[in-house]
Parts: sequence; C-alpha cells; structure tokens
Amino acid sequence: MLPQPEMQRRTRSWSSGLSRAVLGLAGRGLGASLVLLTLASLVFLSMRLLPGDMTSLILGEQAGEAERAALRARLGLDQPLALQYVDFLWGLVRFDLGDSLARPGTSAFSEVARALGPTSALAFLAVSLGTVLGVTAAVCAVSPWLGARRAWVHRGILAVAATPLIALAPLATYLLAVRWQVVPLPGDPEAGFVGLLFAAGLLGLPLGAQVARIARAALLEEVHAKFLDVARAKGGSLFRVWVIHALPPASGPIAVVVAAQLGALLGGAVVLERLFERPGLGTLMLNAYASRDVPVLEAAVVAAGLLFVVAQSLAGAVQAWLDPRGQGEDA
Amino acid sequence: MRDAKRLREIGVIAPVALLFAVSAGFVLLSQRSPSRLSLELSWSAPSASFPFGNGDAGVDLLALVCHATLRVLVLATGVAGFGFLIGAPLGAAAGLTGGSFERWTLRACDLVQSFPTFLLALAVLSAVSVPSRGHIAFVFALTAWAPFARIAAARARSLRDAQFVEAARALGVSRTRTLTRHVLPNLLGPVAAQAGTSAAGVVLGETALGFVGLGPPDGVSLGALLEQGTLAMLRAPHVLTLAVLAIALVSGGLQLASEGLRRWVRGDAL
Repeated sequence: MLPQPEMQRRTRSWSSGLSRAVLGLAGRGLGASLVLLTLASLVFLSMRLLPGDMTSLILGEQAGEAERAALRARLGLDQPLALQYVDFLWGLVRFDLGDSLARPGTSAFSEVARALGPTSALAFLAVSLGTVLGVTAAVCAVSPWLGARRAWVHRGILAVAATPLIALAPLATYLLAVRWQVVPLPGDPEAGFVGLLFAAGLLGLPLGAQVARIARAALLEEVHAKFLDVARAKGGSLFRVWVIHALPPASGPIAVVVAAQLGALLGGAVVLERLFERPGLGTLMLNAYASRDVPVLEAAVVAAGLLFVVAQSLAGAVQAWLDPRGQGEDA
Repeated sequence: MRDAKRLREIGVIAPVALLFAVSAGFVLLSQRSPSRLSLELSWSAPSASFPFGNGDAGVDLLALVCHATLRVLVLATGVAGFGFLIGAPLGAAAGLTGGSFERWTLRACDLVQSFPTFLLALAVLSAVSVPSRGHIAFVFALTAWAPFARIAAARARSLRDAQFVEAARALGVSRTRTLTRHVLPNLLGPVAAQAGTSAAGVVLGETALGFVGLGPPDGVSLGALLEQGTLAMLRAPHVLTLAVLAIALVSGGLQLASEGLRRWVRGDAL
C-alpha cells in the first residue's frame, strides 16, 4: 500500500520542480533581455552622443571632408538618430552590424565569433576548475577527514577570497613563469594547453574561494542532518557520507555563487587577456575601443553581454531546479 | 571593558586611515610629482634619493604611488558615499512602505547588480574621447547605490515589525519620532558598514580599468602602475612588487575597515 503514493509524490515534485524551473527561466529571460537591451542601447548611444565628430576620432584630425562624408554614409551617421537606432536593433537581430572598420571585408560579428573561442575556453575551464577546487576545499574544511587541520583549510579559503585577482595574477606570473620558470608564459603561442590551464587556474582561483566559502557554510548546516546520521550509521565511508549524501543538497547555493561571480569572471578574463596578450573577446573589445571600430565594439559588447546573461540565467535555472524552496514569491 | 573592546574593533580602521594620512601628507607637503620625468633614470632600482626607484620614463615611483593612492581613496570614498546617500533612503523607504514600491525597487536592484561592470564601463566610456577621473566615478556611481538600497530595504522590513518599534507606536509616539529615534539609528549602521565593501570594490575596479588602458589619461593610478610593472617584469621587478603591495594594502585596508565597522554596529543591533 505504502510505496505507491510515495512514488507518486516523488515524481510529481520532480516534474513540478522542472516546470517551475522553466517558468523561472522565462521570468529570468525577460530580465536578461532587459539587461542586454540596456547594454546595447548604451553602447549605441555613447558612440553617437560622443561630443565632437566621431569621424575625426576614427580617421584622425587631418582627414579630408570627402573621406569623412564617406565614413558617415557607411556608418549611417547622416541619418536621423531614431532611424539609426532602428537599423542598429534590426542589425542585432540579424547578427549583422556591417563590416569592421579596421579590417574592411570582414563582418563585425565574424570578428567576434573568432574571438569568442579562446575566451569561452578560458572561462569554461576557469569555472570548472574553480568549482572543483572550491567544492574539494569545502569538503576538506568540513568533513572530519583532516581533523584539527580543517581550520587551516578554512583560513586558506578566506585568505584566497580576500586576495584580489588583479594583484595576484601578475605576481603569480612573475614568480612562476619568470623567476622559477615552472610554467610557460600563457601569452606564448607555444605554451598551448599548459598556458591556457595556467591562465584558467588563475582566473578560477578567486571563484573557487567564493565557492568554497558558500559550500562550507551550506555543508555546515547539514552536519547534524538526520540523513547524514543514517548514512554514517549504515557504515558509509567518509567519501560516501560527504560527497554522495551531503553535497547534492548544498549544490543550490553553489550554483548561485557561480552565477553571482560571472560578472567578476568576465572582468577577470579581460584583465588576464591583457596581461598575457592572449587573443579573445577582451582583447578584441579593448582594441576596438582604442581605434573606435564602432561596428566591432558594438557587436563585441552585445555578444559578451549575451554570453553573460545566458550563463547567468542557466545558473539561476539550475539553482531553481535543484532547490525549489524560496521560488514561490518569484514565480 | 566594553568600551575598550569597541575601541579595538573600531581600531581596524587605522590601516586605511594611515594610508590616507600618509599619501595626503605626501601630496600636500612634498615637492615630488609623478609628472616630472627623468629619462636617464628609467627603470632604475630603489636608491637613496628615490626610495621606491623609478619606473617608465624615469617617473618617481614614490610620488606616483602616493598620488595614485590618495586619488583612488578619494574616488572610492566619494562613490561609496554617493551610493549610501542615494541607496539608503531609497531602500529604507521601500522597506518601510512595502507593497509594489518595494518589489519594484528590489527588481531594479537585481537588474543593476546583474550588470557586468566591465561592459558597462566600456559602453559608457565610449561616449568620451579621453576618459577622465570624473567619468570613471560616474560609471561606478551608476551601480553603487544598489547594494545599499538592498540592505536598507531588508533592514527596514525587519525593523517595521520589530517589537520595540511596535511598543513605541503603542505608547503613542508620533510617526516622525518613531522614525527618527527608533528606526533610523538602527537602520543606518548595517547600511553604512557596506561602504567599506563598496569602496574596496571601487579600488579594484579602478585598478582593473587603469590596467587595461581605460584609466585616467595622466597615468596616475594604481592600475597604470601595475601595467608598468608587468611591462618591465624582467627588467625591473621592483615596480611590479610595489604595485602589487600598494593594491593589496589599499583594498585590504578597506575590507578590514568594513569588517570592523560591521562588527562595531552589530553591537547596536536589535
């Protein structure tokens, strides 16, 4: 008699969790497109409201009037602002904002697509490394495996979390790559995967510390949970008790902290690309900014924003799916 | 006894106050300037007359680091203060009135806080041909109010239903007096403690912008110093060491101060 209703309840809660996650995803999608639209409109307006003549900034002061008129026509600057805006939005929808000014003949979005590869590899590797590192550190800091040395793990986590990446990355590069030469310079084209791994490790380290802090707090809340007592009483190994039983309920907060750190991750990726002179979205944006390559800058900012909001919405949906509590007021 | 403990807790502000005092004193009193260049001294190591050595084009690193520290501290305090002035009243009003006003304010905070700062900075700074310190402050001020508003709203909501506020109301204390004597003093502390965290964030943000070349044009910023350090990593490691130390001290000092403030106001809490 008993098992059947039990089963039914479980499947129902599973599917309702899923549908709630989908609903939440729709709500989040609305917020995400608002962020994206604001960002796109800001970059569009900033370029047009630039005091003085944009063409002289791009071509230099000495450019002739004919050249300027040609550029103005090419960028559509001779049309009314509202029309330019509509054109810009339509271009975004079609993924076509015209050709790059710096490299005529290549479309702005193909430049972005080329830069997207290295940056997403770096970011993906950094998130994976950071999550694995952070969760491992948190489990070490909570489970009795290390005994009294757990406190040192926690202190280490706090120290890393308080260290700014912008100070750590150049220092670590100097010490590891220049002074002791244990890793290749990540900007070196021959460094290959090891270079990428080093850069991703640096980028993932602060993320890992934040993950570890939150995961440790989440795990500590479950130390006295009945189901862990049961797992222990059944003679489960430390690994089984902490990784198989305690970790899954703590993964909701971990997804939240990863989502909250994505903005910092993007900024960090730009800094690291600059530091190591790696090709990527950050380098592309900075170069386009410096030379006022309007189509490329617009495309790159929108693409980076899109990547960011999609990742953030996904993390939010994962969290809603893992832990449906606290979603009532939101949905 | 309790006072001594409180004094010790507030003492964690000392490092950042000391940094401010030293750099401000140097800027006001010393003749050394980060704009005076002596090319023959480029990248030279610390010496008796240049205690921190020289950087790119022979810039005096002692002057550069003091001027940059003072400027970034002023910028960070200014932005944090602005965020507090806008965010705290907004959040408090939202938390006290509740309803749809509160919901929309919190939604706006969500939206603003989910902006990637670097993209926002890049988009806004494209509007000027050369970004100045004012423009950079504007970029940070755009999003600075949100965390203050969020904390103030949460705090105001719990104060609205707190027993001592209810007691004051039941005793016939007027609305204004309840607000000014009972609600506001308990509200402001935790919100003010956010200032240190915000200021530390601004320091790191400004440094990152300066490092990637979006900093102030005069090159007097910790980010520009760090860039010099990474460029001359092989020739002059002292520049990199100095830059890393300065960044760690300033942001660490602000974080420590915010932690101390937070502990200090917790003594006042409900």
